[in-house]
Amino acid sequence: MQLKRRKMSRGVAPALGLLTANLLLATAALADPLGPAAPPPVANANINDDTETDLGLTRVDSAVLFYHEANGRVQTTEPMISVAFNSEDGDVLSVKLTSDTLTGATPNGAAPWKQAQTFTTPAQAPGSTAVVTSASGGSSLVTLPGTGTVVRQYTTPAHQLPTDTGFRDQRYAVDAGYSMQWSPESRVSIGGSVSTERDYRSGSINAGYSRDLFEKNTTVSVGLNLEFDQSRPYFGTPTPLTVMSGDAKGGNKSKTVQNIVIGVTQVMNRIWLANLNYSAGQSDGYQTDPYRIISVVDPVTGGPTQYLYESRPSSRFRQSLYMGNKIALGPTFADVSVRAYHDSWGINSITAEINERIPLLSWIYLEPQARYYSQTAATFFHDYLVSGQPLPTYASSDSRLGKFSATTLGLKLGIKTGSTSEFYMLAENYKQSGKSTNPNAIGDLASENLFSGVNATSLVVGFTFAFR
Amino acid sequence: MCPDDDLAPEALTAVPEGFRYCFQAMASPCEVRVDTSDPDLARDLGRRAEAEVRRIEAKFSRYREDSQLSAINRSAGASITVDSETAALLNYAQHCFQLSGGRFDITSGVLRRLWRFDGSDNLPTKAEVRRLLPFIGWRRVSWDGSVLELPKGMELDLGGIGKEYAVDRAILAITGVSDCPSLVNLGGDLRVTGPRRGGERWRVAIESVDRARLTDGLLALAHGALTTSGDARRFLLKNGRRYSHILDPRTGWPVVDPPRSVTVAAPTCLEAGLLSTLAMLQGRHAERFLRTEGISAWWVR
Repeated sequence: MQLKRRKMSRGVAPALGLLTANLLLATAALADPLGPAAPPPVANANINDDTETDLGLTRVDSAVLFYHEANGRVQTTEPMISVAFNSEDGDVLSVKLTSDTLTGATPNGAAPWKQAQTFTTPAQAPGSTAVVTSASGGSSLVTLPGTGTVVRQYTTPAHQLPTDTGFRDQRYAVDAGYSMQWSPESRVSIGGSVSTERDYRSGSINAGYSRDLFEKNTTVSVGLNLEFDQSRPYFGTPTPLTVMSGDAKGGNKSKTVQNIVIGVTQVMNRIWLANLNYSAGQSDGYQTDPYRIISVVDPVTGGPTQYLYESRPSSRFRQSLYMGNKIALGPTFADVSVRAYHDSWGINSITAEINERIPLLSWIYLEPQARYYSQTAATFFHDYLVSGQPLPTYASSDSRLGKFSATTLGLKLGIKTGSTSEFYMLAENYKQSGKSTNPNAIGDLASENLFSGVNATSLVVGFTFAFR
Repeated sequence: MCPDDDLAPEALTAVPEGFRYCFQAMASPCEVRVDTSDPDLARDLGRRAEAEVRRIEAKFSRYREDSQLSAINRSAGASITVDSETAALLNYAQHCFQLSGGRFDITSGVLRRLWRFDGSDNLPTKAEVRRLLPFIGWRRVSWDGSVLELPKGMELDLGGIGKEYAVDRAILAITGVSDCPSLVNLGGDLRVTGPRRGGERWRVAIESVDRARLTDGLLALAHGALTTSGDARRFLLKNGRRYSHILDPRTGWPVVDPPRSVTVAAPTCLEAGLLSTLAMLQGRHAERFLRTEGISAWWVR
């Protein structure tokens, strides 16, 4: 469907006919002493002429991602290994294992303030009588007077974005898929995935069908995806828009996602392959972040009067339209794409991306990448709520639902170490920018940086190889 | 076909269709059939065809020390500028390599050092084959359209297309000077210039893979070429398993479970030869390949 390397393409016979005619024409005059015909021109061999197929080969792809957000925010190391078994007929069985270790601080959703702020969360899982005996980074255990309940408290200094540093998680994920040539013109695939971390579990299955038309110049495809997720917050699920406290919370919550993608890929001309995809998905169920709060502030000074747990709608319908192009320009190879997105939470976004693969020598290439992203805010996004005003049904201060734009710049280096193996490194810098101060904000908040977006740097180091 | 032991210095004989001109080249009995009542014309066309075949053999045979191909194979990694004809053939071989997903590879000739298909059970070991694999692979060859660099230890072998190319060139040598219906047959790879006088078709027999039978079928050919790939005489037999002589250059081992023989008809001998080879290289999927490509072919399993 994308520019995959063809195994032996259909239409070998006509292609061979053309080649042979050329050869016999080119050599026709050779016996003639008056002069040989020029051979047909062949471009310099370079990595983009690579037609090595993976047929009958087992390919292993291993990589490690190092991700680091600025200002002590989230860091993660994510090793990954995937294996694809390619049969001689073009059937592929693939399995991928990923593990993730996240540490660092994540914004808790409250707005900064000119004085220090203290936040209280439960110290034990619901129904458990055991108490965390050592508080994790930056927080302390406090026994509430009068009730004897032990809660966890942490304090954010003045003028800083409140973050919860007691955050460390381990995630494991397995993805498996099987794709086979159903008929000479069509391909079928099925797959599934499972991922688990201490407070979240997710499972999904997917199926896809694609069909070639017009002598493989056009491919149409459809894919379906079903997902089931379960949120199991450490200390239970809080009731939305209730006051943040150390009280025991509710049980696990779940959500389901159904998604369909329809696409068409078209060979536009000898050097240009275009792809158009439309995707629609519906999510139903618990989509709130159980750890996030939103500040309710005094209408005059802007100081926090309460912290409430956030609330998001339980239904979300998303749509997106994606157009991608792969263009061979001389020895280089460009990938240019645009995506437009709209969902029922009021978020509209646009992504534009360009990658250019530049072969330096036959065994080494550089690929600079640039991506621009811009989104509008969800209808229920608020930097903070104002005390005295009626509570909205839904409210969240998560900057990922706010208005922002982001630029990513990256550079990939690939080194071909063998006929089927390659070592690669990809370094990326991601910078989000949203309104940093809002002069219309209440009181002191007008001088605080309310935007909690990130700057992140990541590095992927990987090695891929294949064998029989 | 001409008898192998044809010793007549003047190799022209009269046959019902006209005349038959025989000679030995490329380790095969060769014949040129000319549909005419004029023996001088037949002899002239036969000689032109023979000259072209010998020219190609002298230039591209790996068995001839003085051939250009042998010079390339002795070059030990040096840069060689080749002439237009060699360049055209190398480009062709490169395109066939790409079209076939790497199955057709003119650098695979070194495998003959290990594989001798003499009907015995002498299979090489996996280790022996693995040691040769670094010297196989068109991708390791540096070729930019005029300058070739063949890494030391690697060899080019045009055996896969040499005979078919010679047939096509011989036909061109004949049609360049005469309209006379002719057939050129080099060891079973054949092509006709067109139908015989009166519009009749040429009669061709497909050699049987079964020693007990002389022929597997009789074809009538009015245009184009016919080639047959098969293991009638060349194979290895070990533990009841038959190893065909079609080697997959990607693995160094014989293709698994190919048909016993595939005969392909196509407009030119090069196409027919490549398609029948490619079909055999598909192993047990040969028939599916032939059907999907819509090739005129006959096969024996």
